[in-house]
Amino acid sequence: MCGLFCVWKMLKLKVAIFTLLFLLLSCFSAVAQTEEEISDTTASEEPSYRIPKLAPVTNLEVQDSPDDAGGEIELTWKLSADDTEDNGLVSKYVILRSQNRTSDFHIVGVANHQDTSYIDKGTQDGTEYYYKVVTFPKYEGEVRLTREEIDPLMDEFPEFTELGIKDVSMLAEYDRNLAAAFIDEILGISAVAGPVKSSAQWFNSKDLDTFIIGLVICTSVVIFIGLARGGRKLFLRRIGGLQAIENAIGRATEMGKSILFIPGIQDMDDVQTVAGITILGRIAKTIAEYDTKINMPVSRSIVMTTARETIKEAYLSAGRPDAYSDDMVHYITDEQFGYVAAVDGIMVREKPATCFYLGAFFAESLIMAETGNSIGAIQIAGTAMPAQLPFFVAACDYTLIGEELFAASAYLSGEPKQLGSLKGQDVGKVIAMVFIIVGTAFATLAAVTGSETFLEITNMIKSWFSA
Amino acid sequence: MDSNIVGVWIAAFLTLGIMSFLYKDNPWYKFSEAIFVGLSAGYWFASLFWQSLHAKFWTNWSPAVQSLFQGQFDYNLLYTGAGILGLMMLLRLVPPIGWISRWPLSVVVGGTAGLYLINYLVSNAIRQIGSTIQPAVTFPESIGWVQSGGVIIGNVLVFAVLLVSLGFILFGRSSTIDLPTPTKLFFFLIALVACGLGTFYSLSMPLNLTGLIIFMGVFCGLIYFFFSKEHTGFFGGAATVGTWFLMVTFGASFGYTVMSRMSLLIGRIDFLLVEWLKVVK
Amino acid sequence: MNFWKALLAIDRRWIFLFVFLALAVPMFLNVDFELSISREVQGLYDALDKLQPNSKVLMSFDYDPPSAPELQPMADAIMKYCLKKRLRIIIMGLWPQGPIQANMALARAFADKNIDQSEYVYGIHYVNLGYQAGNEFVIQRMGSSFYDMFKNDYAGNRYEELPLMRGIKNFNDIDFSINFSAGYPGTVEWVQIAVDRFHVRLGAGNTAVQAPQVYPYYNSGQVVGLAGGMRGAAELEGIFAYNAETDVVYKDRGTKYMLSQTIAHAVVMFFIVVGNIAYFVIGRKDKLKTSK
Repeated sequence: MCGLFCVWKMLKLKVAIFTLLFLLLSCFSAVAQTEEEISDTTASEEPSYRIPKLAPVTNLEVQDSPDDAGGEIELTWKLSADDTEDNGLVSKYVILRSQNRTSDFHIVGVANHQDTSYIDKGTQDGTEYYYKVVTFPKYEGEVRLTREEIDPLMDEFPEFTELGIKDVSMLAEYDRNLAAAFIDEILGISAVAGPVKSSAQWFNSKDLDTFIIGLVICTSVVIFIGLARGGRKLFLRRIGGLQAIENAIGRATEMGKSILFIPGIQDMDDVQTVAGITILGRIAKTIAEYDTKINMPVSRSIVMTTARETIKEAYLSAGRPDAYSDDMVHYITDEQFGYVAAVDGIMVREKPATCFYLGAFFAESLIMAETGNSIGAIQIAGTAMPAQLPFFVAACDYTLIGEELFAASAYLSGEPKQLGSLKGQDVGKVIAMVFIIVGTAFATLAAVTGSETFLEITNMIKSWFSA
Repeated sequence: MDSNIVGVWIAAFLTLGIMSFLYKDNPWYKFSEAIFVGLSAGYWFASLFWQSLHAKFWTNWSPAVQSLFQGQFDYNLLYTGAGILGLMMLLRLVPPIGWISRWPLSVVVGGTAGLYLINYLVSNAIRQIGSTIQPAVTFPESIGWVQSGGVIIGNVLVFAVLLVSLGFILFGRSSTIDLPTPTKLFFFLIALVACGLGTFYSLSMPLNLTGLIIFMGVFCGLIYFFFSKEHTGFFGGAATVGTWFLMVTFGASFGYTVMSRMSLLIGRIDFLLVEWLKVVK
Repeated sequence: MNFWKALLAIDRRWIFLFVFLALAVPMFLNVDFELSISREVQGLYDALDKLQPNSKVLMSFDYDPPSAPELQPMADAIMKYCLKKRLRIIIMGLWPQGPIQANMALARAFADKNIDQSEYVYGIHYVNLGYQAGNEFVIQRMGSSFYDMFKNDYAGNRYEELPLMRGIKNFNDIDFSINFSAGYPGTVEWVQIAVDRFHVRLGAGNTAVQAPQVYPYYNSGQVVGLAGGMRGAAELEGIFAYNAETDVVYKDRGTKYMLSQTIAHAVVMFFIVVGNIAYFVIGRKDKLKTSK
């Protein structure tokens, strides 16, 4: 076997010398061997490129991909006997497809060695297909052929055309001298599998888990909203930051300075902006009662109009509609850093006593919070952007972390919809906690005891939550 | 003069103008800021007009209308509906009927909510539950002594943190667990023995506690964000541990951001030194 | 005590100056960094390495010039590798300036004397589909049809006139996808829609700010590889330089900036440690005072 492998290598001129050496050595060692073995060695001296005929893959099975939108066929097979993990002779498997059993096979794709499956993603639904898999050998080096060199080769060896090897780069990987012996003596060609048709499925059973969990959470949200609407008092724990908000407004009033409110840089379709504006409603009411000034630069036009409406309503309910002015909320620019530059300027020049950052933030969070800190303002932030929370936590006096922002909004507004959604999400969290505890317990038991049963249970639970 | 050189000089002038804010607020900064804000507002207006109104609406809708006149129905005619919704949005400018603009807004919010519900539920909740389910402890095959040294130190740290956390929950000033002191001590002793055994074990055999840390972080974090129960007793203790995990996460995230901000500054310094002054190659 | 108080009251502008010097001075030095390769970057490399020549790679450039110092070196390295490996490259952007950044990466790759531009034909070997507005909805629509979202490419050619695009209907025809992301829309949206709905194999290059948010996706296998921040870029350059076995120059700006980055981090760490010591020393003394 080793000898054959070296002949294979010999095709490269560079290693010709080594091959010669090898042949000499093998002849030399042959002297000490029995006559039978000597005859074996001489056989390998013949320059007939005796690369071992590769074993084809077996058990080739084709089927329509389940749970898809059509256009896919799944192939599975057992590895070629020559495809071993180390020192295997196989480089790849080439997938050929045709619409009839005997001819017109074309390459549709390539699978790596050690792969036992392939998905043909280019099928027409309803058409019958046949497949075969060709085992390709490993090769050393790279020989690039030009179109002019290839065309005569195609004429000379029609098998290439039949195999469907039309791609220049694929053929170019092989030494042209090999071509003659190539197909019959090297490639392992599997039996034809098929016919098979691809089709689309209405329901993706793999997403059943999502469906069930989504259904449970949505149903509980709806139920809780119904309960809250019906007058049932839903319990919500105290949110730490709310007292801080009141104090911060009080401080600005005492100092006779303005309050800056930043609702994030996302539009009204972001639920964080909605939460921020809801809290703004409450803040604006207190501000109206205390007769403090509010300044709210925004980066989205829709947010501007919504915020104006909210503040106007708050002033109205506080009984001071005359004190409201549209100038309280003003648009700057949609551009993130342009907006930040302007807000920074406002902070440094107006020196507000209190800054609120409630909404969706990106890289501007730290720049604003840092400037706010440097002018000595009391700062209260709230966002569900995980990447920005650290800066708010570091630079602000109080931060509503993640969902606390929504909780605060629900708590302050007392709106059944917000309370109900929060409660529904708590149901989701209970589900998550239960499965994490149970799953981790079984996984740990499996790891500690090495029990197959526990491992199976763990894998079953995990499979409900993976793709 | 090469127009490119003029561009580089203007860019350098404005870069330094914005950077001058670090010293203090000044007219140069104000000038650069004003240019930046004006330019970006204009850019966004033009970009939205061409990328959204023209590319998304007009190029689809106008051929459909043309083909309608030729007696053919094109599905792109549905864009008429989108156009009407867009016009309704603009009715904000007419205060007496401004409320109509809430309708298209509800379409946007509803559509986005529907898409996000599934996306976040699947990617950020369900898949993450799956990847959290892993053994709390594993016993890796033999590892190099340097690595195993690290593992032992790591494990001892984990046990120490566990004990401190438990101590804090049971005996801390803000502890709200209402149990007689001997019972608390009993629980603490059990934990102490368990951690001692764990430490002893990890000295003799490799022991990997990554799963335990992940489990504790996820579980306590979830409890912190659970709003249907007051944070008292065991619940309060777990929530406190949850905040610690959050703070550690924030610290790591902060570190990453420092790196990012440094990179941005490197980019500007590179511009000043390489492209503008050409003192570095 | 005065010393510590003075230290805490230090004008922040001194810190700015120190950080500036820490970043600027090393730029004049030329130090070759040997970085250990993290498993996330290794994962990205392995995924690319496994692709057969002529595989179709979708690259989404979701960033703009402000994030270029971190992401451009990654884009440059991956672009070079994909071209050299003869992968077919499809470029797009969910950020308006993304496709321009892509063209810069292409130009930098072709500037390498070992990548012969004449061997690569636009429309056959690579395509720039340009920017498309609509954030994650673009990804969603691409799941059913690329054509619906990109009727023309960046240069205005019609989709069906591009030989490379003729065989591509939706994500099913893409072998691998890479996303360079600086925020929203970016990797998170690609994972949620392209990966979890349309089962695309995704690798990501992220700014350091975003990286912690993407790590959970790596752990759960939703992202096969991940390069975070400038360090990630430097690692990518390193792993390509040592493993790709080509004569292309991979070690570039990512590696070059690492020294500045490292020294600046050291300066920041120094200030954090000293600042905290000062804070605690003063805090304790103040407490003692009040208790007296």
